Order: sequence, then structure tokens, then C-alpha cells
Amino acid sequence: MIPSPLYRLDGVRKLYGDRLALDVPFLALREEALYLLSGPNGSGKTTLLRLLAFLLPPTAGTLSYRGTAVEWKDGALLPLRREVTLLHQAPYLFDRSVFDNVAYGLRVRGTDVGAAHRRVVESLQAVGLDGFGGRKARELSGGERQRVALARALAVSPRVLLLDEPLSGVDKPSADVIRDVIGALPAGGTTVVLATHERAPFPGGRGERLRLSEGALLTSAAPGDRTGDSPGGKDTHADL
Amino acid sequence: MGFLVESLRASAALVATLDPDLRSAVWVSLYVSFWSTVFASGIGIPLGLGIGLSDFSLKRPAITALNSLTAVPTVLIGLLVYGFVSRQGPLGDWGLLFTPEAIILGDAILAAPIVANFTLAAVRGADPAIVPTALTLGATRAQSTATLLSEIRFGVVAAVISGFGRVVSEVGVAMMLGGNIRGFTRTMTTAIALETSKGEFALGIALGIVLLAVAFAVNVLLHLLQQK
Repeated sequence: MIPSPLYRLDGVRKLYGDRLALDVPFLALREEALYLLSGPNGSGKTTLLRLLAFLLPPTAGTLSYRGTAVEWKDGALLPLRREVTLLHQAPYLFDRSVFDNVAYGLRVRGTDVGAAHRRVVESLQAVGLDGFGGRKARELSGGERQRVALARALAVSPRVLLLDEPLSGVDKPSADVIRDVIGALPAGGTTVVLATHERAPFPGGRGERLRLSEGALLTSAAPGDRTGDSPGGKDTHADL
Repeated sequence: MGFLVESLRASAALVATLDPDLRSAVWVSLYVSFWSTVFASGIGIPLGLGIGLSDFSLKRPAITALNSLTAVPTVLIGLLVYGFVSRQGPLGDWGLLFTPEAIILGDAILAAPIVANFTLAAVRGADPAIVPTALTLGATRAQSTATLLSEIRFGVVAAVISGFGRVVSEVGVAMMLGGNIRGFTRTMTTAIALETSKGEFALGIALGIVLLAVAFAVNVLLHLLQQK
């Protein structure tokens, strides 16, 4: 039996007023995979990521997550949002310490203080910011801020991590750390969707590419990685 | 000129010796201003947050109405509340007229739109990424609102201070609903009005000095917060 995809989008369209921002006739995303989302500015990458993060309802069509159509009501969305985390392009860091920022997701989940403390320390270590916990988040450099935001996302151990161009405008050492951390996530069970302008952000051309142009999905994942179901029984990620 | 200098000297003595009438007026003023600001904040902060965070068809008219309410004359609010708390009014049985509680009620109505407007301005000026960031990290809608409130805390405190500044310096509501009863509902502003009409400039000036000091302290606090 073919397992249902992690995400499945059927006839999803998003309009801002009269402007069509996203048009995805069909798309299926697998668990524990690494997707590279590319396209020029304004092509709909951020809209797609916000939709996958359950922050933005589609104007039309159905978004299914783990085999169930998403119900766009706060109560129904909360458990889904607690599995999926979006790292914004210019991540907002709360006006608190680095530690409190990274602990935020754990606190809102009511995680035990001791366990939360351990998890925060681990997450900061993972992004190379060990010992930064007491610093004010707002006083960090751009690259450090991006790494804190990544640590904050990692702390909640998301099933899906969506990243909106986390490597743009970041110094090389920070970019290398972010790249290494992101690249290792699928092997640990986390699905990653990374919006990026880079042609090959990971060694060996890793990652299945999704291309958007003017809101339309142009290409799906690499043929060799096809799984999941699609209308008409085609074993593809996206129906173009 | 000599008369003014003499009045200033006498007022300084009243302030220095903590004259009982002066002390009482200052206490009543601070008491009613504090509680009316508390109640105004209880209404104004959620109102400002609610309007700022929600999308509804009448949002623009609601904001316009809120702006207009900040300019309502104090005597009009006094008149309105008087109609409710006077013996013939719907709240007449509560015996509120000419009590500090009546002033608190009127002042709360006066300050609530100010607190709401400043809170709304703080929400609109906040980074739009705050709530989505909180939500994507697993916050409930209430938790994300609390996070927003925490992030705009300086703006909200400024809203509260502005509300306090408005009520501590108003005279219309205090006069109409408090009745200017010595030692009971006489505030700094109503005392200044009364003492001046009696020709007792010294006490009026002494109260004016205290009122100015309070207004100055409030503005310094506001200025410091806006610099954060």
C-alpha cells in the first residue's frame, strides 16, 4: 500500500485581491525529503510556504496534511502548526534573550522547564551558538540572528521545517552552519522545504527541485524520487 | 507683580508644610486618576488590540469613531454620566453622585478611548511578523496575542500613561460628578478653580505646582518609554 503523502495540494489557488499569487493544480510532498523551492522574486514561494505552514488559507482548492484535508479553523490548525515550523526570510526575534527566544515554542507547549532548558542548549549548540543564551537577541549580527531563529525552530523538533531563503544576506560562516544543519534534517526524520535562489545549495546536487514562476508550479521533484499518489494513478509529485 | 511673588512664596510654604487641604486634594486626584486609569486600561487595551488585530467590514468607521471619542469635551461626559447617576437616573439608587466613584466612572469613560487609540497605534506600528512567528512556533491565538502585547509593551504603557495624564488634569468630570466637596471629592483641578474664584491664589498656585510636577513626571516617563 502506498502511504499517503505528507502534503497533498489539489487545485490550490491563492489570490490577493484580483492578483493570482499561487496556482498549484497538484503537488504531493513526501516525508523525510528535502525540497528546494526556487523561482524569481514574486513567483509565489513565500505564499506556498505560508500555506504549507498553515498560516494562510488557500482561496480555492484543498490542502491535505497526512491524508486529511486541512480545516482552516484555529482549533483545528493548532496541532498542525505544532508539527510544522516556518522560518521567515527576515525572522522576527522577540525582544528577549536568545535563550528565551529559543525556548518560546517549548514554553507555549507547556514543556517541562528542565527538558526545555536541555533542548534549548542542544539547539544552540547545533547552530554553533553555544553560550549565546544570555545575550539579547536584538543585539546579534544578521547571521547570528538567522541561526538563533533556526535554533528556535529546531528546538520544537518539527516534523516539517519550511525555510524562506535562510541563506540570503547571511555571512559565509553562518550560511555554512545553516546549510549543514538543514542538510542533516531529513535523515533525522524532518521534511525540509527550502526556498532558495542557489542552484545547488547542498553537495552532490541533493534536494528535489520545485520551480515556481508567476505563481504557477513549473516543475516537480526529480523523476528518480517519485512516490506518493496523484490523480489518475500517476506516480508523480506534481501534475502539470 | 509683587502680588504674584507673594502668592508664589505663600504657595511654596503650603507645599513645604504639606497643608492639609493641599494634601487632601492631591490624594483625591491621584486616587481617582489611578483607578479610572486602571478601568480605562481594562477597556481600552483589549479594545485597541481587538480592533488592531481583527479584520471586519466596519473597521475604518470604528477607528474614526474611536479617534472622535478622544476629543469629547469632559463636561459632555460629565453630563452624560450625571444623567445616569443622578437620583432620577437608571443608576440613581447606587448613590454615586458626588462621590469619588462617580468621578472614577466619568474619568474612565474619558480615558478609555485614549488608551484604546494609543494601543491601536502600537499594534499597527508593530512588526507584522510577530503573530505569524508566534503561531508557527506553536502558540495558540491567545498566546500569540499575549506575545504581541509583550512586544509592544512600551507602546501600551505609553497608552496607559497618556490616559492617566488626561484624567489627572481634567476638571469638567470632577466638578460635575464629584461636586468639589472639600476633603472628599475635591481634586487638584477643582480646588484650583475654586480657590482662584475665591481669590485664594496661594493654594491655587501650590496645587498648580503639584499638578505641573505630576504632569511633568508623566511626560518624562512617556518620553523615556518612547526612546526605548
